[in-house]
Amino acid sequence: MIKKDRPGITIFYCINSFRQPEKPILEDCDIKYIKMPCSSMTKDVYLLRAFEAGADAVMVLVCPEDACRYAEGGKRARKRIEWVRGILDQIGMDGERQLAIYNIVSGDDKAVKEIIKKTLEGLKEIKKSPEKHV
Amino acid sequence: MITGEQKPVQEILEIVKPYKNILILGCGTCVKTCFAGGEDEVAVLASALRLAYKRDGRKIQVKEFTIERQCENEFIQESAAEVAQCDAVLSLACGAGVQAMAKRFEDMPILPGVNTTFIGIQETEGIFTEECSGCGNCELANFGGICPVTRCAKKLMNGPCGGSQDGKCEINPETDCAWNQIIDRLTKLGQMDNLKKIIPPKNWNTSLSGGPRKLVREDHII
Repeated sequence: MIKKDRPGITIFYCINSFRQPEKPILEDCDIKYIKMPCSSMTKDVYLLRAFEAGADAVMVLVCPEDACRYAEGGKRARKRIEWVRGILDQIGMDGERQLAIYNIVSGDDKAVKEIIKKTLEGLKEIKKSPEKHV
Repeated sequence: MITGEQKPVQEILEIVKPYKNILILGCGTCVKTCFAGGEDEVAVLASALRLAYKRDGRKIQVKEFTIERQCENEFIQESAAEVAQCDAVLSLACGAGVQAMAKRFEDMPILPGVNTTFIGIQETEGIFTEECSGCGNCELANFGGICPVTRCAKKLMNGPCGGSQDGKCEINPETDCAWNQIIDRLTKLGQMDNLKKIIPPKNWNTSLSGGPRKLVREDHII
């Protein structure tokens, strides 16, 4: 469960594009990692439930589009992200800022760190997650 | 199968507004296949409603349950215990399912969460097309198994109209011309002589135009 005293991000990641670091990437946020054998496992209800569990933002890290081991995992994930973004927008959340997908080259932890920083910046500009308003 | 699509979440939020304890009831047959009202869609909608309410600082109890078919009493019965614990049911079935539920649970508001669209098939992954209008008098044998009543914009029984271009309908160029397909199919079947038949004007008495229909099978009535 994500704590409520600072921003929370849930990261769904394909194990072929990213590995959960042993040390925190950033100190000023809570990050919950959920690994997937392939980003094609990205599912709408899991993304929404991450928000229900207190995440302010949800990120999905996938392989570069032409490098998916299972051919089209990233493409499927991207479609589902778009679908869930539409749902978030309908309920007054900010689909674009609160839910994002990134193509990551395996081992590029620096890029992930920058993405998280950018996400945190985006979060400052929008309302906190519904869970944190309760 | 009967196809449908889930209503926009905003519309659903308005529909459930008067209630504090709702059951989202999925249907595991047709609407599941078209991703409108199966177990997965129930879970997504429940999550979206809970998030929306929390965001607005309101409270709602949302329960999830899915039965195999909402249009048959035998399956509806399986939801009775869940229905008894809520103050409204948001049904993700087609219109038939919603009404069957309303008949079974007379004192319970049964709310629609899906717009029923048509009788159709899944043409390719994620694409559903209308194939049958349920006109009550099937004439597919004349047309190589392709229905001009449903798939020709002009419902021509003695086509083609002459307006199609490159196999596409002149009314909507994104739609395949049904008569182009009928001719292709009859050619493959060696049944082009079918086109020499003059099909008489269609009797629409058997369609919905004659009012709500009832199908009676005496041999199944005791």
